[in-house]
Amino acid sequence: MRFLPHTDTDRSAMLEAMGASSIRDLFADIPAEFQLERGSLGLEPALSEAAIVRKFTRASEKNRNATNSRYFLGGGTYHHFVPAVVDYVISRGEFLTAYTPYQPEISQGTLQALFEFQTMIARLTGMDVSNASMYEAATATAEAALMARRVTRKSRVVMAGSVNPRYRSVTANYLSRLEGEYTEVDMGGFGTDLSKVIAAIDETTACVIVQYPDFYGSVYDLAPLRAACDAAKCLMVVAFSDISAFALIESPGAMGADIAVGSGQALGIPMGFGGPHLGLFACKQKHLRQMPGRVCGLTTDVNGKRGFVLTLSTREQHIRREKATSNICSNQGLMCTAAATYMTLMGEAGLEKVARHSAAALQMLVTKLPAHVTAPLDARYNETVLSFSDQAARDRFLATARSEDIFAGIPLEQIEPGAGANHLLVATTEMVEESDIADFIAALEVAK
Amino acid sequence: MINPDYKYSGTCGIQHEEPLLFEHAHDAPEALNMPGVDGDISPELAAFARKRPTNIPGLSEPETVRHFVRLSQWNHGIETGFYPLGSCTMKYNPRVNEQVVRLPGLAHIHPDQPEESVQGALELLYELQQWLGEISGLPHVTLQPAAGAHGELVGLMMIRACLDARGESNRRKVLVPDSAHGTNPASAALCGMQTVELKSGADGRIDLDELKAHLDGDTAALMMTNPNTAGAFESDIREICQLVHDAGGLVYGDGANLNALVGVARPGDMGIDCLHINVHKTFSTPHGGGGPGGGPVVVNETLAPYLPVPRIEKQGSQYKLIHHDQQSIGPVLGSAGQIGVMLRANAYISAFGREHLHKIAEDAVLNANYVLHRLKERYHVPFEGLCKHECLLTDEYQNSHGVKTLDIAKRLIDLGFHPMTVYFPLIVHGAMLIEPTETESRETLDAFCDAMLEIADQCEAGETEMLHDAPVKPFRRRLDETQAARKPVLVWQE
Repeated sequence: MRFLPHTDTDRSAMLEAMGASSIRDLFADIPAEFQLERGSLGLEPALSEAAIVRKFTRASEKNRNATNSRYFLGGGTYHHFVPAVVDYVISRGEFLTAYTPYQPEISQGTLQALFEFQTMIARLTGMDVSNASMYEAATATAEAALMARRVTRKSRVVMAGSVNPRYRSVTANYLSRLEGEYTEVDMGGFGTDLSKVIAAIDETTACVIVQYPDFYGSVYDLAPLRAACDAAKCLMVVAFSDISAFALIESPGAMGADIAVGSGQALGIPMGFGGPHLGLFACKQKHLRQMPGRVCGLTTDVNGKRGFVLTLSTREQHIRREKATSNICSNQGLMCTAAATYMTLMGEAGLEKVARHSAAALQMLVTKLPAHVTAPLDARYNETVLSFSDQAARDRFLATARSEDIFAGIPLEQIEPGAGANHLLVATTEMVEESDIADFIAALEVAK
Repeated sequence: MINPDYKYSGTCGIQHEEPLLFEHAHDAPEALNMPGVDGDISPELAAFARKRPTNIPGLSEPETVRHFVRLSQWNHGIETGFYPLGSCTMKYNPRVNEQVVRLPGLAHIHPDQPEESVQGALELLYELQQWLGEISGLPHVTLQPAAGAHGELVGLMMIRACLDARGESNRRKVLVPDSAHGTNPASAALCGMQTVELKSGADGRIDLDELKAHLDGDTAALMMTNPNTAGAFESDIREICQLVHDAGGLVYGDGANLNALVGVARPGDMGIDCLHINVHKTFSTPHGGGGPGGGPVVVNETLAPYLPVPRIEKQGSQYKLIHHDQQSIGPVLGSAGQIGVMLRANAYISAFGREHLHKIAEDAVLNANYVLHRLKERYHVPFEGLCKHECLLTDEYQNSHGVKTLDIAKRLIDLGFHPMTVYFPLIVHGAMLIEPTETESRETLDAFCDAMLEIADQCEAGETEMLHDAPVKPFRRRLDETQAARKPVLVWQE
């Protein structure tokens, strides 16, 4: 077993040093009735490294993937370009195999990368501060609701129906075991009518959660909602699923968000069948001490040199235990480093270009739609809902597209239970080429 | 002859200064050449154009690489040296795992693409579910929780759902030993339960009388870690589980220390109802500066109906993701889990197989007892007896020389080692929790023990000042954590 350095000679010598006759002497504190016979578990026989590579390669080849297919799939996970530098940096053993930086003197690399990450996320989202970090967007949204309850000392959470259904259901689930009311506002169809959300706010409301761009890709002004939140003294939480949008359009901060949460998967992290991804969490300075999760802060060492530490740990479970404001302990540190590397390589101009190409691809697709397929008309970022005459037409199109290795979209009801089965959620990124769009449009012929 | 300066190997060597990327003093270079559609965006969207620049600096590719490689060189990782962090299980991470998870058919697939196009990924995940069930003796599995603490929350949600289904919604009390991980009480609170702390016995284990005194008709669960955080196996496990079950409660196992048991004994056989498994620890996903990890939860028949969705099932020869189930506690993450971490776990278990899996626990326990044996005369051992995969010491002998646990930890850095876990568990004063893991050689363990003994010598020789000044060798010395917390600076201001 090459992962274990001991030889049997080592083992015997160590046991002898301790006065033990066999390794099982060291397990004498486990009652005999619970001790397994060696090799008795129902597992497969051990594989060599070569056999492991073969096994995984075979499994991998059973899947169609984004390197040999065309993807129009979104709904919270997007196929963006990942420059080779990103995986190179996070594969460096010193980043990859380090622990949470509890000993800052020998963890300055991770810590400075986290500080740079926090700064860039704050700038991109237009918020004052960012943590580092959350598991992914749905749990980050739930944490935002919990934080708003702490900040306002009110317990009611209002959720717009235009938020990703998975963020909604996870948040509802987390809140369901705690005191307080949770209200989802049906905005109708792929509605963008904020007045329905505004009407649901009352004086017991801790926060309103909206998505921008919303789950259906729509972009709209949140100013009326901001005013309503001010009047009711509640927080405005803005969720998002593809952060690359904010290199092109107004940020959640510019829209007046108190808390911005969402996914950072677009920032150099592969789709990975759903994870690990990266949750983002940013807020206004005044709410800093109620922000969950790990944060890195700037300080100095005994020689007065600049350095970094994990800070504000008085909120954390290892100090306050049952009074802790969250149970987040492991975080997505490596994913933060990936995102920091990606943003550094792209810079402002590169990020803006990604966003512009993603949005331009959608615009091209929508303008070329035939009459028998419709899309909403207002402002969209890189995602929209196509509606077909019926489910059969949609499914004929999906099958035709698949036969040409195009994953043309996600049947809406797959993510949003209860949605009509004639809709398709379609997303574009910079990885979509003009010829892909042409093939997509051509395949729509069968949906007539 | 080994050069005495490098006796323990370690952290001295080339050290670069490297500014923050915001301080690189030139304008961003030309943007990367991006693929895709370089056309117009819709006029409706253009109306929302961002008015203020993002001010994300951007460096050229060579500068980016050099920046982050230099940062990486300031880090201690398991690939650069020994990392004896108790309760954290820092073992070597096989490189083949990193290779296979990056295969395009596993890394570049979307969670919502049709099931028939991801059968290979689902097959590997389903296989892992089966294995985790077999290894733990708790056959029903969810891979969804994103971390150990997340698994705790999910497990308690299932326990609560089960009690509610029994019509016992009064049961909201969770008993948590004072030696438990701090996430345990926090998870209980998030689940809308109330924590009651159990005082540990004089041997650092659960005290049966204390347990009996707190069990009643409101008890939902006992959360226990076994082996516990003092490194000791709870030998009364059968009685403990029996007492809790007799009182109508369930037993939650914190699986953080499964590395001591894997292949040797199964929590499910002992009476544990529900357990989370830190797959990133026991089954070797690199910690990555704190994550990502994964916290699958395994349960017995009693709790099986309440597993979260989506679930991975096998129907005939096809693998399916089940998104809806009547009694399920619902979704706890936006996806089916941290799949990359689960695939690494599959690769790790594959490498050991049924013939070798027990060697993980055997060598881990051997190494911990060996370190304990070598240090027990010179460092105070609060609880006598065998330890499992980690050993607990305190600074009691060093205190009379004015030296504390923190000084010992920081001095270890100068000697080339990452410190052990300090001041945890909270039940002993000045705790030092050492977990060598099975992937360390005898040579490394001896070097570490020699360094610990040298520090003990230095204490006794009155070299207190040097110990208080440590570390002196790394790139940065002791950092002012009070200043960081009092005046938090979390983002760079030009």
